[in-house]
Amino acid sequence: MSLELLLIIAFGGAIVTYLLGKISCRIREGFAVLISLSLVVMIACLYGENGTESIYFHFLGLPLIMRTNMLSWFFAMAVSALGALSVIFSLNYMKNRERTDFYYLMLLMVNASMLGIIFSGDLISFFIFWEMMSWSTFLLISYNRGPAVAAGLKYIIMSIIGSMAMLVGVLSLYATYETLNMATLAELIGSASSGYLLFLLIIFSIAFAIKNALMPLHTWLPAAYAEAPTPFNGVLSGMLTRMGMYGFLLIMYVIVGATRALNLGSGLFKFHYILAWLGAITIVIPTFIAILQDDAKKLLAWSAVGQGGYMIVGIAVGTNLGLSGGIFHTLNHAIYIVLLFMCVGAIQYRTGGERDLNSLGGFIKKMPFTFIGTLLGISGLVGIPLTNGFVSKWLIYKTLILEGYPFLAFAALIGTWGCILYCYKFIHHIFLGQLPGKYQNVQKAPFSMLLPMIILSFAILFFGILPGIPLKIIDTIGTSFGFKSMNVTIWGIASETGTLNTINIFAAVLIVSIIAWLMLKIGPKAVSVAQEDTYAAGAAIPKDKYHYTVDFYNPLYRMITPYLKDFIDAFYMKFAHWIQSLCNGTRRVYTGYVGNYVMYIVLFLALLIFIRLKWSL
Amino acid sequence: MVFSQVIHFLQNHIYYIGAFGLIFIGLLIILVKHNLIKVIIGLSILETGVNLFLIAVGYISNGTAPIFSNPSVETQRMVDPVPQALVLTAIVIGVAVLALALSLAIRLYQHYGILDLRQIREQKW
Amino acid sequence: MDDAGLFSGGPNPILLVVVPLGFAFALPLIGFVSKKILKYIPVGVFMFNLVVALRLLPLVLKQPILVEIGGFSPPFCINLVAGPVGILFSALIALAGLLVAVYTLVYIKEGPEEKYHILYLLLLTAATGVVLTGDIFNLFVFFEILCISSYTLVAYVGNRAGIESSVKYLIQGAVGSSLLLIGIGLLYGLFGTLNMADLARQIVSVGSSSAFIPMAFMITGLGIEAAIFPLNSWLPDAHSSAPSSVSAILSGIAIEVGLYAVVRILFTLFGLSSFFLFFVFLGVLTLLIGEMCAFSQNNIKRMLAYSSIGQIGLILFAFAIATAYAVTGGLFQMISHTLGKGLLFLAAGYMIVRSGSMEISSLKGMGKRMPLTALAFTIGAFSLVGLPPFIGFPSKFLIIRSALAEEALIFNILIGLILLGTVIEGAYFFRVVQVIYFQKENEHQKRHEAPVAALIPMFLFMIAIVAIGIYPKLVTGILDSAASELLDRVDYIRSVIQ
Repeated sequence: MSLELLLIIAFGGAIVTYLLGKISCRIREGFAVLISLSLVVMIACLYGENGTESIYFHFLGLPLIMRTNMLSWFFAMAVSALGALSVIFSLNYMKNRERTDFYYLMLLMVNASMLGIIFSGDLISFFIFWEMMSWSTFLLISYNRGPAVAAGLKYIIMSIIGSMAMLVGVLSLYATYETLNMATLAELIGSASSGYLLFLLIIFSIAFAIKNALMPLHTWLPAAYAEAPTPFNGVLSGMLTRMGMYGFLLIMYVIVGATRALNLGSGLFKFHYILAWLGAITIVIPTFIAILQDDAKKLLAWSAVGQGGYMIVGIAVGTNLGLSGGIFHTLNHAIYIVLLFMCVGAIQYRTGGERDLNSLGGFIKKMPFTFIGTLLGISGLVGIPLTNGFVSKWLIYKTLILEGYPFLAFAALIGTWGCILYCYKFIHHIFLGQLPGKYQNVQKAPFSMLLPMIILSFAILFFGILPGIPLKIIDTIGTSFGFKSMNVTIWGIASETGTLNTINIFAAVLIVSIIAWLMLKIGPKAVSVAQEDTYAAGAAIPKDKYHYTVDFYNPLYRMITPYLKDFIDAFYMKFAHWIQSLCNGTRRVYTGYVGNYVMYIVLFLALLIFIRLKWSL
Repeated sequence: MVFSQVIHFLQNHIYYIGAFGLIFIGLLIILVKHNLIKVIIGLSILETGVNLFLIAVGYISNGTAPIFSNPSVETQRMVDPVPQALVLTAIVIGVAVLALALSLAIRLYQHYGILDLRQIREQKW
Repeated sequence: MDDAGLFSGGPNPILLVVVPLGFAFALPLIGFVSKKILKYIPVGVFMFNLVVALRLLPLVLKQPILVEIGGFSPPFCINLVAGPVGILFSALIALAGLLVAVYTLVYIKEGPEEKYHILYLLLLTAATGVVLTGDIFNLFVFFEILCISSYTLVAYVGNRAGIESSVKYLIQGAVGSSLLLIGIGLLYGLFGTLNMADLARQIVSVGSSSAFIPMAFMITGLGIEAAIFPLNSWLPDAHSSAPSSVSAILSGIAIEVGLYAVVRILFTLFGLSSFFLFFVFLGVLTLLIGEMCAFSQNNIKRMLAYSSIGQIGLILFAFAIATAYAVTGGLFQMISHTLGKGLLFLAAGYMIVRSGSMEISSLKGMGKRMPLTALAFTIGAFSLVGLPPFIGFPSKFLIIRSALAEEALIFNILIGLILLGTVIEGAYFFRVVQVIYFQKENEHQKRHEAPVAALIPMFLFMIAIVAIGIYPKLVTGILDSAASELLDRVDYIRSVIQ
């Protein structure tokens, strides 16, 4: 199975899907699902292929190379699987909307270009696919119109800034080493000076930090997540944002190499140490901003920024345990955030696009599967044992404590506390409490939405109980970076410094739940009372007064709100306005009076002669 | 004798001085006058100055026409014919530009009712 | 005409100039026979030119073709030098001319059509002449034809904006050509020749610094047409008030021909390498000013016009670096700009016709009303910003790559500024794309696509943009030899004066 064919199918499939849409919606949707599923199968078949490089094209005299290894297989698998689930989820969600052809084209295009990024064996094709991903994402983010337009613009401007930085990095490597093949670069770069490596890492980090929404370059993300079409949120939050993670891994551990990358800078100002601290800041602040959100998608968006911080902390610390934690967390986070976005999507689909937490509530009985999905999703997000999030967070905590980073560990811990708060708020506001009257007739989510949710829910438990399966692969990635292999078993990690064994946890949870069940069984039966069965001063309280979910965590709000304004975003906006007025001022050079214009001409001539006389060039 | 030197200089360079004088005057008019017709006159003067300059480049004082039909004329005394050819072309081009400019001025006046370039500033920024 | 022996096998390059020129003056006569076929004549002429140029292309790659007019050999005659650069530009001019002529079939419906077609032919003839000629005064003459036909075409619609812009363009252009003529006169006075190769030879022997003053005059004069800041004040007015088909040619061809002339004068005639750093700065300044002005425009055509200034700045920057890589990149960027900006103006032209206004905000909902035109605009915009897989990417890539190879701190700063310019460029282009596709339209309007004859050229432009963007090898071969022709003075002189 050649990678070229894979990419041709991915890109060609996107275009064919678009063309089929002109014939019939059903054929188009069937084909889209077929393409995305066949990509999953094809990538799964690539398992274990390592180090095969193939030149598939020449671009400006540079060979474009595709290659496979464990790292790319891992990411490609996640991308294609989540992409396929998102396509399936879209089937119902996007029905009867305008420009669905365009939507599917761009969705598949984004997936295809992500696969292109992942399989690129040289930096120029990496950059090309990166850019294609950026602009197709831009078109999809703007798809919803209204506020989405501003969100899309913000995204693409930051994205261009990032890719311009990357272009400088790529071209400077090209100018220095005359090649852009990653494997060759990795060998050649050993002789580079530390200063140059630091420059490279910083310039690439700008691009990847923007994509991964690392503070202080995160400002595009909340708006973009909130305004993108919800099924696309899955792709956007799950993998697209994490292309930044992939980039960090690539530049730090593949190209520069672990030994050099972890020794740049001195003392407290080591590159990876600063990166870890940025990650820690990214954990704390966005998590608490997430608590403040009343918009379900914005809440998840800020949560995704915060979780991204964990991944960065994990890989920046630079031990095998931390690296595994970071990479595994990328996968885990992708699974549950996609699930949560799908749950929001299902709610939106049934309520006509409502995503304001304060006007939802009580959906537990109406949409039980969605509730279970959300419950599992937030369990993973918080990191409750036996869910996948627990394992990766455990790995990251363990690393931070073992390596002696108490402050980082504390930051991670605070992040988890905040995470619990907003997760509870999220599930409570949507599913618990009072069902608003207008939603009395809400139906269950349709099967095409439930199916991906069920699959993802299983994945959360599966990876939570049997973390050894992905960890084995991640361990191979770690060893390929030159780290020591971990002792991975199917249940977790066995090591002298602390064992992770999910079977013990599983047994403990089982025993506790049996005891709880027995106690409930033995104790007296609770009386079932209707929710409205309460009276104030002898009068029944009107139904709509029951909705007590507004102003959750009010005391906490009052304490933290002043500190949690997105002042970085405000600063950027101010800067943008300043640029705008600068531009506006600049164009006044063109006064409209032709006498001035002729004067410019004469002055230019005089300037040429003046320069000549002055410097006698 | 400074005076005779000056005279000598002037004699040799009078065409250049005249040409650049005209060019300077033309540019000055274009720069400081606001009336479109005056600016066009300035352009015309500029054009003339340039043409005079081209002629001056090829001119030899007391030279003759560069025609070979008369064998008695020695070739050294002939003025250079190339600049004259250039000037002929340049004059033709200049006339075309002038005609176009004037016709545009008429149309501009029909639209605006004025010829003051300071006030004809709808196209700017 | 010369005998065919010198360039056996290929057509005579002079056909590239003579045929359109002849048809331009024959047009009124043909008009007596039938008014209807008039508008098809430019299409036929430029198709012919394209075929001739493409047939010449492989020949000139081996050896430049000289055409000597009047039976004398250089430096005593007016000659055409059809080297890789000349034929490359001729092919580009013929291609853009052909596509825009097809567009014009349906776009120009009012006014004195006959004169439009004459002027259109003259404009492109002159452009071809400028790139092919080997004689400096001949260059001036073609340049004047180019300018005069542009002045007139800008005023073609005859509205307030058009006339005003045309008058301003004319005043600046006339001052510029006077300066150019002064420069030529000075050169003739110094060296007694008008042949570019001969001039170059003599300047090589005396050193380029002695010819600085004529160079300054010539650069200033040509720089006006080339739209180098601060000489480009006419451009936004003229390009935005002209009919869109004319804007496409002015932006895509005329200013690039102007820049070609500047570069030819700088490289071949004077070879004044110590002055290149100044032009590097000037290029970046032009780029930044152009992009910044474009950023704050509400008028779509003005925005595109300012964006042309920005692109010219980038091209000038590339040329002024003056390495083989950089000049290749600059030529590539020229092709990319011709295709991209041509496409943008054509697409914007019909969107303006449909919406009846040039305001960007009036383009709302165009994605639905004219989906193909909107797609064309989007692809053009993406290409100009430099996104893969469109042609703007490889060209920008080459330029930045060559600038980075300079390894001087100042170049790193300039690259930063250029990339900043790209970000601004991205911001305003993406904003328009969003308006076209994603802004809520005011009322529901029916789909009303541009006519087929307008869509075909847009479609061909799109194909060219994507094809070269994916497969830059299509042009890099010719670009490389064109770059070496521009950079290698001695070889140029030797090939003209045997």
